[in-house]
Amino acid sequence: MKRNWLLILGLCISLVLAGCSGSSSESADEIKIGTVFPVTGNLALLGSESYRGVELAVKEANENGGIDGKKIVLENSDAVDADAAQSEATRLINKEGINLLVGSYSSGISYAATEVAERNGALYWELGAVADNVTDRNYQSVIRVNPPASSFSVQHIEFIKEVVTKQLGKSTEEIKLAIAHEDSSYGTTIAEEAKKLAETEGMEVVTVQGYASSSNDLSSVILNLKEAQPDVIIAVSYINDAILISKQAEELGYDLPVFLGSGGGHTLVDYQKSVGDLANGIFNMDFPQYAINTEYTPGLEDFVAMYEEEYGEAPRSGHSLSNYMGMKVVLQAIEEAGSTDVEKVREAAMNIKIEKGTTATGWGVEFDPASGQNTLSEPYMGQWIDGELVTVWPADVSVTEPVFGE
Amino acid sequence: MMIIQTIISGILLGGIYALISMGLNMILGVVRIINFAHGEFLMIAMYLSFIFYAWAGLDPYASAILVVVLLFLLGIVTQKGLIEPILDKPASTKIFVTLGLSIVLQNLALMIFNANYMSVSTPYQMSTINLFGIAISVPRLIAFIVVIAIVVLLYLFLQNTMVGRAIRAVSMQRQAAYLVGINVKRIYLLAFGIGTALVGLAGSMLMPIYSVYPTLGASFVLIAFVVVVLGGMGNMFGAFYGGLLIGVIESLAGVLFSPGLKEVVYFIIFILVLLVKPSGIFSRGKGSEEVGL
Repeated sequence: MKRNWLLILGLCISLVLAGCSGSSSESADEIKIGTVFPVTGNLALLGSESYRGVELAVKEANENGGIDGKKIVLENSDAVDADAAQSEATRLINKEGINLLVGSYSSGISYAATEVAERNGALYWELGAVADNVTDRNYQSVIRVNPPASSFSVQHIEFIKEVVTKQLGKSTEEIKLAIAHEDSSYGTTIAEEAKKLAETEGMEVVTVQGYASSSNDLSSVILNLKEAQPDVIIAVSYINDAILISKQAEELGYDLPVFLGSGGGHTLVDYQKSVGDLANGIFNMDFPQYAINTEYTPGLEDFVAMYEEEYGEAPRSGHSLSNYMGMKVVLQAIEEAGSTDVEKVREAAMNIKIEKGTTATGWGVEFDPASGQNTLSEPYMGQWIDGELVTVWPADVSVTEPVFGE
Repeated sequence: MMIIQTIISGILLGGIYALISMGLNMILGVVRIINFAHGEFLMIAMYLSFIFYAWAGLDPYASAILVVVLLFLLGIVTQKGLIEPILDKPASTKIFVTLGLSIVLQNLALMIFNANYMSVSTPYQMSTINLFGIAISVPRLIAFIVVIAIVVLLYLFLQNTMVGRAIRAVSMQRQAAYLVGINVKRIYLLAFGIGTALVGLAGSMLMPIYSVYPTLGASFVLIAFVVVVLGGMGNMFGAFYGGLLIGVIESLAGVLFSPGLKEVVYFIIFILVLLVKPSGIFSRGKGSEEVGL
């Protein structure tokens, strides 16, 4: 009996102590920003890579005196999935009292966390997740720097119209397009948008193959594609399925036609390491990568040097670069607002105007006041050539011409 | 033509599923514990295979015997240290212990190897045999041949050796096995060890085909359970038949319906089988599906 009372007393005291801690976004000499990224679990690789970009931007700013002499401090969370994102965002806002958050790499995580931000009057800066529905809700609490998924589809079709038609000697209406996509919101959004745009342009969409990214066998996808005989395949894959598609196409004797990846798995060094020579010739639409025309992306080389010094290895993907550039915009908005008040920071953000070709990613910045989406960011087309992912289109950012006929 | 290719691919895929599930069949059938960490043992086996490749330049097929021995030892240690003490505890303990083990192993792997996808590069990895226009991948064929060999060896072992018969006895009727003087505890150790050794072999065979990453177990463990329960737990070879069946169904469903639905199709069939014959298709009948919960 006595033991029970002691236990209950102990629990009460620890609850009170836990509830006592708490900080606001701005204390006397610190500016606190919450981060919502998946740093463990399935998405750990790119979640942590994205976080590194944010961390480097903050480190750089603090070395240059912080914002108005105040040190920027990151309050981190581990948002493994949408459920965790919701609870972590709630914790950061309500318990830690932080109303400026950045995230998220994954669209599912972003969607959940931004709902929490909207309900609690916080400001959520999205630096990497692409699903259109994040900004389609026109929430005043959401600002996104990176391009949305639909822009991937737009650029894919532009690339086909501008480059592939010439290469294949066919008109746009004669092109036969196939789409293979993983079935979460990332894959489905890009696939549906691409299908719509392709049909508007008069292209024939011969097949759309949706599959679960957790599949460990995609032979049915390959066989269906082989049967449909497309001229161009647009693929939206995470890493596991990207590896499987390349390997199983080879196993099943299917010579892939012009193959356009959409970021995700096809961007990763691990993809190229796993499939070796099979990667060569594969195109990939994604956020800015490192083999790029640096005249259009000032600051990129310095970023890479900073990254290598801090983490002892080369960047594992372009996610850190995009999050770095995005975080710098966040810090610029806070500085220009002169406060961490959500209204003031948002207003300052809406007034930011940066030209394309002047940032480390080459993106410009101009936010649409209704949705919070940056209208001057776009993905670029890269290609795996001799084991390296190099940017090949549009011409402003390209390092070399696209290669066909591998 | 495409249908034949699909079926052949399905059979080869089924062979892989069977290989992964046979270890689980042994553990589930004899020790009667639901080992949620089964996928993680596969992951450990593949990482070991990768380490032998990266540090000693050993081809996964060459290091297979080492991986098998190491996984056998790991199984015995797990059974002795983790499973044995909880065999008479309530159901929730049994579930949480292996579930906890699974999470610990996943995150341990994440800590040691981080989240990168590792794979080996061998000369025959991408080679295919072309038989009348049907493409057959060489590593998958080798995995299939190995699973057939294992089935044969396992059958001979269980039928003709004293120990094998003791294992079958414990699997059929544990109480009676005690009564005839079989050291059931030792049989459990052996069965768990053999179970994880089989998973070790699976890992070695899988290394040329798949890449390894910390959460790899999660994508295979569910299929392994489906295969074992569908095939029939009382039957030592249920996993083999179940695996082939699931492999073929999955491949055909992907081509005839859509790849997005292929898992749905075999799960529906799985549920239907459970409604009609809960102990599994090839089981010995009612009662053999009892798991010690």
